[in-house]
Amino acid sequence: MIFFKPWIAAVVLVLANIAHAQTAPLYQSLGEKPGIAALANDFVGRLKANPRIGKMFDNIKPAYLKEQFTDQFCELSGGPCKYDGETMKNSHASLGIDKAQFNLVVEILQGSMDARGIPFTAQNQLLAKLAPMHREIITVE
Amino acid sequence: MRLLTIALAATSLALCSPWILADTGKLLLTGGVSSIDGAAGGGLTPWALVGSNATDREIGASATLTRVHTQDYGLNVAGAVLGIHNRLELSLAQQDFNAGPTSALAAFGVTLGQHIKMDVVGSKVRLAGDAVLNSDTWMPQIALGLEHKRVHAGSMEPVLTALGAKTSGTDLYLNATKLFLGQGLLVNGTLRATKANQNGLLGFGGALGRDKYRLMPELSVAYLLRKDIAIGAEVRFKPNNLEPVGNAVFGANSAALREDNWQDLFIAWAPSKNFSLTLAYVDLGRIAPALVSGRKQTGGYVSAQIAF
Repeated sequence: MIFFKPWIAAVVLVLANIAHAQTAPLYQSLGEKPGIAALANDFVGRLKANPRIGKMFDNIKPAYLKEQFTDQFCELSGGPCKYDGETMKNSHASLGIDKAQFNLVVEILQGSMDARGIPFTAQNQLLAKLAPMHREIITVE
Repeated sequence: MRLLTIALAATSLALCSPWILADTGKLLLTGGVSSIDGAAGGGLTPWALVGSNATDREIGASATLTRVHTQDYGLNVAGAVLGIHNRLELSLAQQDFNAGPTSALAAFGVTLGQHIKMDVVGSKVRLAGDAVLNSDTWMPQIALGLEHKRVHAGSMEPVLTALGAKTSGTDLYLNATKLFLGQGLLVNGTLRATKANQNGLLGFGGALGRDKYRLMPELSVAYLLRKDIAIGAEVRFKPNNLEPVGNAVFGANSAALREDNWQDLFIAWAPSKNFSLTLAYVDLGRIAPALVSGRKQTGGYVSAQIAF
């Protein structure tokens, strides 16, 4: 059994971390509605400023986009909100988005979450709620 | 050196081409690091991830230098990977194993300080899934891989032949990799059909009926501490083909050529998308224990990778 000690130690460490990470509800970790609104505000600013994909947002009012993200993130994180905007499929259908662009948006959101001081474990929990949307958003394989 | 030259030339060529200079789009660390056999993965085992930073519709490349050092042995590896459309991975690795204590083999005509070199040509195809983005399902990313290995043992070759080991072999592996994104936990399982002794450095198969493919599992877990830092552990089971012939030569129960599982604890750090550094503590068990007073081999692993 001596051979397996490092292995067991690593697994215990990882499980302990996971148990710890799941103690705070995501909605609270994101700073509830005001924190999420501030995150959405930062996120929209970074999206529009991005040299590679910023142009995609030229025809959408920033205030509207912020409101949509706020409602969506709030609902997904377990908060008392309801996203009632367009489906992900419809809103992205004509944009011709590929996986590299999808991943770029993930990175931009990570940058916004870092800027807002959102803990890494909470960041991953939010990303885990958003990532499956790649099936509706990516239309160019 | 020939393979390595080709690998490095291919990598530099790839890095200079216009379709590479465009920003490639994998998320940080999701191309894995380079395994000692060249394929993208952890340190000791390949994962189902396709190497390089390239995602769908992109082509990318990476190059890696790795050093493993234990009580009695050292291994240097140079490797290169080409990742195509997040679907196909081609890899090359050249290993240089410093079989330190070969003085014990002088009686068999083995030159003092003999190095054993091995070339590994690998390919891997992603069959299904996306390890990272399908965070609402249990479905992992699944890949099938091939590693063709040719060992150049120099004056040690007659010894390998006498033990019934061949100088080339091909491993086939199937792996499943899943990132539990919400938990920041990556899990990989690999099932490898192999004849390799010590990954091939001591040849393939052995005398006394040990020349058959055997199925060996390899497991990895990695936990993301931060976006740019992963820690984890791996274990790789190995066939132990040379123990029977070792016992026949050195005495029953001598375990003279016993081969143990490999395992490691690692930390990988990617300060940018283009560079990563991996450090590990490795426990490689016994490697030709008859030559080194039965001692287990543990030590350090350091690997630097550039990726585009």
